[in-house]
Amino acid sequence: MTRSARRSNPVRQWRRRALGAILLLLIVLVAVVAAFPLVWMLLSSLKTPAESMQTPPVWIPSSPNFSAFGEVADVIDASRSFWNSAVIATTTTAGILVTSLMAGYAFAKYRFKGRDLLFAVLISTMFLPPIVVLIPLYRMVTYMGLNGDLFGVIVPYLANAFGIFLMRQFIAGVPDDLIDAARVDGASEIRIVFSVVAPAVVPAIAALALFAFVYHWNTYLWPLTVLQGNTDDYPIVLSLGRLLSYNRGAMNTSLVMAGATLAVLPPLVLFVFLQRFFVDSIVSTGVKG
Amino acid sequence: MVSPAVALIGVFIFVPMVLTIWLSFHQWSTQTGFGTAEFVGLRNYRDIFGPISVGRDFKRAFSNTAIYTALSVVLILPLSVALGLLVYQSRVAGGNLLRTVLFSTYMVPMIAVALVWSKLYSPTEGPINQILSWVGIGPQPWLSSPDTALVSIVILNVWQQVGYFTVLAIAGLTQIPTTLYEAARIDGANPIQEFFGVTLPLLRRTLLFSAVIAVINAVQVFEPVALITQGGPANATNVLTYHIRRVGIERAQGGLGSAMAVMLMLSLIVVIILIFALARQREERT
Repeated sequence: MTRSARRSNPVRQWRRRALGAILLLLIVLVAVVAAFPLVWMLLSSLKTPAESMQTPPVWIPSSPNFSAFGEVADVIDASRSFWNSAVIATTTTAGILVTSLMAGYAFAKYRFKGRDLLFAVLISTMFLPPIVVLIPLYRMVTYMGLNGDLFGVIVPYLANAFGIFLMRQFIAGVPDDLIDAARVDGASEIRIVFSVVAPAVVPAIAALALFAFVYHWNTYLWPLTVLQGNTDDYPIVLSLGRLLSYNRGAMNTSLVMAGATLAVLPPLVLFVFLQRFFVDSIVSTGVKG
Repeated sequence: MVSPAVALIGVFIFVPMVLTIWLSFHQWSTQTGFGTAEFVGLRNYRDIFGPISVGRDFKRAFSNTAIYTALSVVLILPLSVALGLLVYQSRVAGGNLLRTVLFSTYMVPMIAVALVWSKLYSPTEGPINQILSWVGIGPQPWLSSPDTALVSIVILNVWQQVGYFTVLAIAGLTQIPTTLYEAARIDGANPIQEFFGVTLPLLRRTLLFSAVIAVINAVQVFEPVALITQGGPANATNVLTYHIRRVGIERAQGGLGSAMAVMLMLSLIVVIILIFALARQREERT
């Protein structure tokens, strides 16, 4: 059978269309189910308090308004929480970028005794759930006088194994000639890391920055443990927890949903605009067969 | 060049890890310095496995975590492959949009996920029971009954995490040479044979990696429990991360909490070794 004959076969063509329609339906269905909780959150944040508590539930707010957002801002000092989250996420991210670039460079381009063992030991910490070290770490931070302090939230997380791993993977692909040329020109090793190697691995840096930022924006367990009721320094995710206890009596759903929306927006907006970097880094790091 | 990273990871991960093990053999109040720890041998371990209330709570938290983890992995892995195929196929458009929607849930802070789902699950004003009623299914108690609370949190977890594993699955799919599919088609394989003969075997490494990550993520569940259920109803959602923090930080029983943390770490090591052994066995058989 020739190609054109096959294409014009009506049964085959019908089957093909049916399959396409089923796939399309599936895609739409999955996307709707996946997006539903976030859409519900957004819709609920625009409802009046009474409307958000109605039975059976009201899906579309009758007179959408942002008053719940204003109330959130009053109750939890949202701008302060936002600022704290931004401070935690950006300083941690900056620290991770610097330490990971340096270590990744060394592991990719230096030969030193025990290199592979050290690398393996560092990488193994990637698989350690934070709860395992939480109790002594809490005490150590107290020793350092950082209990109840934003620095206590930040300092233990200025380096991590994932960052080192990601950087090593990408820096291994930077040509040695480029680095040698910089050495011949008399550049110091630190200078080589930040002005020769770093510009060559910008996509990896972007990916790591995004992952670190989102992770530390979202993280809850450690700040909760360190800050211990020092609500002035609460990041937005902790303030969100306060919001729930604040209105446990009245259970004002629209208020809680407005708070959740505020906490979700920064990481989500970052992701939607920069998702290529996330996806590329996942694709290029772990799982090549 | 490696020293800043090594120093930080050493001080903030390795030192506390060794301290956790050391503390697990001591009676120690978290409110006081390490110097006040009093050596008690294996007593903490005897207590957490003993018949007293400390032991009952720990064993319940342990089994809850095990069930939660197993269910999460069993749901996430097949779903991630199915969704990965749906995104990766090139027959109809919309795959990339679907990937964006799925992965965006992974960016949402767990605390917000927990709050939103607690409302979705609400037996009276929640939309889930309403939707179920449209298709003739009666209202479910979700988070408020000990029989359904843990499963409800698993569903919430799967919703949040599956996008990440879908991207991993897609990464695995792109690694499969198209010539293998062509060869299978020439041999007369139908799509189902193609899936089990080519796709699934070649996704094995991806699935192995995914399983390990899914296990490690699952044992860290904290926010939904801490914020919505507080371990209840009737201890049904008391999981290890929540329980260890409650014992070790809130009740300041640092030695006891450390012994629990050590058990968690040991169990994780065993589970991960088992997953690798299972994968290797499969590899040898094929």
